[in-house]
Amino acid sequence: MKTQYTDVVAEYLRELDLRLAGLPVLQRRELLADLATHIETERAERHLQGEAELIEVLERLGSPDVVARAAYEEAGPLPPVVAPPSPPLPPLAVAQAPSERAPWVLPVIGAGFVALLIMMALCAGFFAFSRSSQTPAEQVAPEATVAPPAPIPSFTG
Amino acid sequence: MSDVGQLATSLRRGTLEFCVLAMVEHENRYGTEIVRRFGDEPGLAASEGTIYPLLSRLRRVGWLDSKWAESPSGPPRRYYGLTAAGRAALEHFRTEWVSFRQTVDRLVGTGEAA
Repeated sequence: MKTQYTDVVAEYLRELDLRLAGLPVLQRRELLADLATHIETERAERHLQGEAELIEVLERLGSPDVVARAAYEEAGPLPPVVAPPSPPLPPLAVAQAPSERAPWVLPVIGAGFVALLIMMALCAGFFAFSRSSQTPAEQVAPEATVAPPAPIPSFTG
Repeated sequence: MSDVGQLATSLRRGTLEFCVLAMVEHENRYGTEIVRRFGDEPGLAASEGTIYPLLSRLRRVGWLDSKWAESPSGPPRRYYGLTAAGRAALEHFRTEWVSFRQTVDRLVGTGEAA
């Protein structure tokens, strides 16, 4: 009998634990212990008899999703009075990573992109130039147009 | 529906914690006791389980302290009490809240205007 009740509780706490992976370990353990104590206190002090009553306790606590979201919001960088709204969902460890890389990665990617644009513009320029000077279209593979422009006029005669 | 929920969340943010502080102002209370009290006040906490992360933060910032004590009728209880810093924060909130409330009442038209 009793194991049946604790199964519900154990499952609830396990589901919550899974959602707290991004929290500091001590905060995670503290929350799980607080909730386990709460449930046990309710059971003892209210003389709860059956699984249904225990499920009611869990429902009042809120779903693991709701409790985990609150845990991440409260875990933020500890501004005591008015916390800035933190992102509702939690992958903190993942979210941290890009901001570390950002200072140098973004400029490099940006520079590469600009260089690519310049290359394309040059290619387009050469291509347009070679068209306007009436070169036969047959010779055109795009790479070929990057070749120096000098030989082209001699073609036309 | 989502607007209503969003409003409740926004109003709660920044005020709920002072309700917690006030609850332990005169005597220490254990977690379940605090949570039950919030359960009796509809709309104040999102759900009972969200009180515990809040208690944890208030303890980490030094506004609450906690100690475990045996219980006559169940598992050991974790009693929360107000620290000096918590008491100061609560007093500060009381001052701010009154003037904030008066301003909002005046602007929104919810005061008992005479």
